[in-house]
Amino acid sequence: MQDTTSSGAPDRHGAVDLLGVSRRFGDTLAVDALELHVEPGEFLSLLGPSGCGKTTTLRLIAGFEQPDAGEVRISGRPVTGLPPYRRDVNTVFQAYALFPHLSVAENVAYGLQQKRVGRTEVRERVADALSMVQMREHADRKPTKLSGGQQQRVALARALVNRPSVLLLDEPLGALDRQLREEMQLELKLLQERLGTTFVFVTHDQGEALAMSDRVAVMRAGRIEQLDAPRAIYDAPASAYVAAFVGQQNFLDAHTAIRPEAIAIGADPMPGEKAAGTVLAIAHLGEVTQFLVGLADDRRLLVRRPSRDAPELGLGRAVHCAWDEADLLHFADGAGAAIPAPLLDTATAP
Amino acid sequence: MTDEPRLRILSSRAAAPYLRAQLTRRGFLGVSVGAASAAALAACAPTGSSPELDGTVESALSIYTWADYEAPDVIQAFQDANGTTITLDSFNSNEEMIAKLAAAKGTAGYDIVVPTGPFIPGMVENGLLMKLDMDLIPNFANLDPQFASQVWDPDNEYSICKDWGTTGFVYDTTVITRDLATWDDFLDAAQNEASGKMSMLDDPAEITGPYFWSHGIDWNTTDEGELDAAENWAVEELAPHIAAFDSYPGGGGIPQSLYVLMQVWNGDARFGIMSSEEPDKWKWVLGSPATELWMDTYAIPTGAPHPNAAHAFINAVLDPDNSLLELDWNGYNTGVADIEQAAADEGLELLDMVFFTPEQVATMQTGVVTDAQQRIVDIYNKVKAAAGQ
Amino acid sequence: MRARPGFLLALPAWLWLVVFFVVPVLQVVWFSFGRKPGIFGTHDNSVLTLDRYAEALDPTFGTVFLNTLWIGVAGTALCALIGIPTAYWMAVKAKPQWRGLLIALVMIPYWTNFLVRTIGWQVVLAPEGWLSTALGALGILDGPLEVLNTRGAVLFGVVYNYLPLMILPAFVAFDRVDPTLREASRDLGAGRWRTLFRVTLPLAAPGLFAAVILVFIPLMGDYITPSVLGGAAGSMVAQLVAVQFQAGQNWALGSAIAVILILAIVATAALGYALFRLVALPFAAARRVKLGAP
Repeated sequence: MQDTTSSGAPDRHGAVDLLGVSRRFGDTLAVDALELHVEPGEFLSLLGPSGCGKTTTLRLIAGFEQPDAGEVRISGRPVTGLPPYRRDVNTVFQAYALFPHLSVAENVAYGLQQKRVGRTEVRERVADALSMVQMREHADRKPTKLSGGQQQRVALARALVNRPSVLLLDEPLGALDRQLREEMQLELKLLQERLGTTFVFVTHDQGEALAMSDRVAVMRAGRIEQLDAPRAIYDAPASAYVAAFVGQQNFLDAHTAIRPEAIAIGADPMPGEKAAGTVLAIAHLGEVTQFLVGLADDRRLLVRRPSRDAPELGLGRAVHCAWDEADLLHFADGAGAAIPAPLLDTATAP
Repeated sequence: MTDEPRLRILSSRAAAPYLRAQLTRRGFLGVSVGAASAAALAACAPTGSSPELDGTVESALSIYTWADYEAPDVIQAFQDANGTTITLDSFNSNEEMIAKLAAAKGTAGYDIVVPTGPFIPGMVENGLLMKLDMDLIPNFANLDPQFASQVWDPDNEYSICKDWGTTGFVYDTTVITRDLATWDDFLDAAQNEASGKMSMLDDPAEITGPYFWSHGIDWNTTDEGELDAAENWAVEELAPHIAAFDSYPGGGGIPQSLYVLMQVWNGDARFGIMSSEEPDKWKWVLGSPATELWMDTYAIPTGAPHPNAAHAFINAVLDPDNSLLELDWNGYNTGVADIEQAAADEGLELLDMVFFTPEQVATMQTGVVTDAQQRIVDIYNKVKAAAGQ
Repeated sequence: MRARPGFLLALPAWLWLVVFFVVPVLQVVWFSFGRKPGIFGTHDNSVLTLDRYAEALDPTFGTVFLNTLWIGVAGTALCALIGIPTAYWMAVKAKPQWRGLLIALVMIPYWTNFLVRTIGWQVVLAPEGWLSTALGALGILDGPLEVLNTRGAVLFGVVYNYLPLMILPAFVAFDRVDPTLREASRDLGAGRWRTLFRVTLPLAAPGLFAAVILVFIPLMGDYITPSVLGGAAGSMVAQLVAVQFQAGQNWALGSAIAVILILAIVATAALGYALFRLVALPFAAARRVKLGAP
């Protein structure tokens, strides 16, 4: 997605560059000499657990925070020190932050009115933006009367109506239920492709990040641990931290892991067999089925097979497991205490 | 009509002026007094009855008086001597006290009340007071005859003098450097050096009083022309220069130097000068050529539940030693014979503000409740409005 | 008949309101149509009359009513001008860890009795008080300080006494406005002032109105401040009421004055609100966006 949009802007229109940016809160270094280059028209996700610095990074781009060191550029121009209202970016907030005293249309019109856009044009653009998110018929209602998903659409329209070169989204889907969230993921992605606007998307949900983004930046302690396309992040995690955060892993030792879906499982001994044990738990998750296998040395393996070709195995059944050496992941950093998602948790689902 | 109670509730002198204004007597003498009509009172005749008067002092005594007006040492001594528990309750005006007695129809539960002289005939007429039994008050003999037998109760059938005082003014000699001696001087200073820095007593009769006293007119006049002239004088000549209406400048006005010229009652003036850090800069002047004499009295309301204790208490305060304690407490002449000598022997200060020569007393006029009372109140309201502009 | 549970729950509140507010006010209104029957009575309603209102509206009392209105409006306006920005600063600008301390500082004067606080100012403002002496020594003032016993002193006193009543509700009003709404406004291109006028103030407005009313009503009825600081020039209606009820024992006239005071308070508050709406209306209308049916 290297779509360069519109209007005679410099060749970096829609780009975001963070050059050695740091932000400190008291003793905590929330963002630590961060280097990040978002390409024009790109959908980039900042992914990580809470406290990793992803929201602070977004706020540094929006202008709600100012860096203690380093420089922020938007569309190639330095904006360090500029307040939010002087930056060509808009934000979709986590809880939407719709103005409760204004109608839906007035919420959407707010940014245009600040720019002294004429009344007729305001009405047209507000109507267009609301149509774009299928909220045209709710224009005159108050936001408090809307459902979460509807409020989310209004927040999106309110930001996009200003035609920002960069749209910042701070966990915008976090408050929605799962089905709606998946729908909105798809809609957001389509919208972004249609508009060609740069999206910087903050989330702690790895599935969401992988599903929507052109690139994903996995953050840890104020730094970017890995920045790559979703497929590459998943298939070739640069560290045990990334591997553990993106999908689930079976750590064979501190530096070696194998993904659950790379393990073959069967009732009979098989060629290239690496382990044997008994089935402790089985979870049917629709398209996939997971098995938790207890090994002789008390370690456990999580195995995930497509439900279509999952073997019929009962609880307590002796099983054999095999995998390809090529599928093993090797990490220099080692699996320490920072690794989330221990094996057992993911396998006990009914 | 007034006294000077000292304030000993708060240790802070700062709180005194307000509390004194709130708690002490003489808040608003005379308002609506003129509206009193005998017809309206007919229904008020008390129905309560008292125990027999046999000289057996009861174990309780309830006194309804102006706040902080009775000397604690006297109260304590009486309690100790008779085993009687004394309860004190206070009122802000004669009207308030009278209204309460009238409403209770003899069941108010008070044994002693302290009305100001001119109100006594009306209270007697409406049966609010019981006759005193002089056999139970032998110390009545101690009272100087000139303070017995007042016009409102010539035979002391219902009341006995508690104490009496008069009106004058105090000024700051560092600001008003000339000698002031008369009410004319007072007005002249008010219009000049003290303009906007002088206070008047917050009392209708005291506002017009100086005009009558300085012009040789009877203070209790009901003559329309004289009242018109008094109004003109008070509204046009005096009001524009008034900074405040303050009945107790001794509590704040003098010690805090809030004003440079103050109309004031003698006991309060004495108290203020004694409280001042610079007593020498203040000068007290008795109103001249004429001024007022007011007197508060002890009386026993009809239906008093402890009449023997009430008589015993009145008798006790007429004892010369107790009387001196009363004087030391509130700064007013109790009218007990030879108290001037006793006070001098005791070394009390500024006694020239408590005791007056027979020549001075001869210039003092007693107030009477007249038909002009409402008119006096109207003038007072107009002066207040004019002073506020 | 089935009573709704909501009504039952509200019953104590209604009873409270009726017993302790409605009935006493009606009683005052009733007394105001009577008269004082003479020195031995406080009120008599055997003949109903409006004469007490005529007395109460006499020009001699009119000065005091106008004075009260002036002090009430100016005092409330000053409290708002000082208190609302202070509350805004406390709720929005001050670091959250300082807020507890700031609220405590606002409240500390309230730990002292209202009367004693006011008398404290009488001592300070006295012509020979320490403030006068200090200003004289610094050469700022030539001669003694002469503010005591003026309307200005009462104004100062009521602002001092009622400012916390303005700041605390206003603080709550500002504090309840979600800070991300301010961020959203700034994100959408509004600077600090426009954010203040288009987001923060409109959202805090109900609380700010409550604060203004909470100050205006007791201020109009203040008795202590003018008694202590006002002198002849700074008297207020509550003093008239007190004099009639206490010293004068004329409940009829006191009630009539009190009723007029209540009506004046309600009328002034309504007028103030109407004026505010009148001024705010064109601004709101200019920003209205009505799309109507698609």
